[in-house]
Amino acid sequence: MKWRDFYIIAAALLIAAVFLCLFPGSGGKTVTVKQNNETVYTGSLYTDKEVKLDGNTLVIKDGVCFMKSAECKNKVCVHTGKISKKGESIICLPNRIIAQIE
Amino acid sequence: MSAKQDNSPNRIDTKRLTLYALLVAAAMVFSYIESLVPLFFIAPGVKIGLANAVSLLLAAKGRYKGAFAVNISRILLSALLFGSAVSLVFSLSGGIVSLIVTVLLHKTKLFGIVGISIAGAVTHNLVQLAAAVLFFGGGVLYYAPVLVVSGIVCGLALGTLDFVIIKKIKTNL
Repeated sequence: MKWRDFYIIAAALLIAAVFLCLFPGSGGKTVTVKQNNETVYTGSLYTDKEVKLDGNTLVIKDGVCFMKSAECKNKVCVHTGKISKKGESIICLPNRIIAQIE
Repeated sequence: MSAKQDNSPNRIDTKRLTLYALLVAAAMVFSYIESLVPLFFIAPGVKIGLANAVSLLLAAKGRYKGAFAVNISRILLSALLFGSAVSLVFSLSGGIVSLIVTVLLHKTKLFGIVGISIAGAVTHNLVQLAAAVLFFGGGVLYYAPVLVVSGIVCGLALGTLDFVIIKKIKTNL
């Protein structure tokens, strides 16, 4: 091992630090959306996405997930608000939708 | 392997062809052994990359073409036997780009095998991350620091392994 090898280690650590500053994600949280017991979407909580479901629209943005609109009377899922923690879920019974953070 | 006689040092003779075939086989066995010892409990996607020790060894001996030939053969064969089209894209992009970096750094003659190995491992992980961005979007980028640090650790291990091999086994590749 040459002493110059430490430059490579230092450069690599610098790259790691730069990425850490640029993308300070708080972990590998993913959103799994199921409708009628079938998984229709799985993706990172940090990948912005508008998931069009049968009747509902789910939005994943900046590490939070919420139901934007729903075609039903009570709108329980819309009123659930934003979820971001592991284990939290948004459930729409009329349209049989479950969005869960894992 | 061409039919015409050529006596250049780049010529592949039967002995070397056999040796490289053995190295491809060894690399594939390394991949298999590695799959038996999952490191997923540390972080998903982290691998030692034992198979890359073979191509690194060839590159460190100045056998650049051999390193590429062995590595690409190993990746294609592994993908055909155990992988999928997606895993092939990941392995091939990471394998080729990291080997290019490895060879270029070796050509500068500035760095030791351990440093070259670390640079190769980190490049490998970053290129695979870039491929992951194409497939899954930019959300996976938060994972970069983990991959870089695991690259440093694994590169250190592989570089040390090859350092010992080169020292102990005096052979022409």
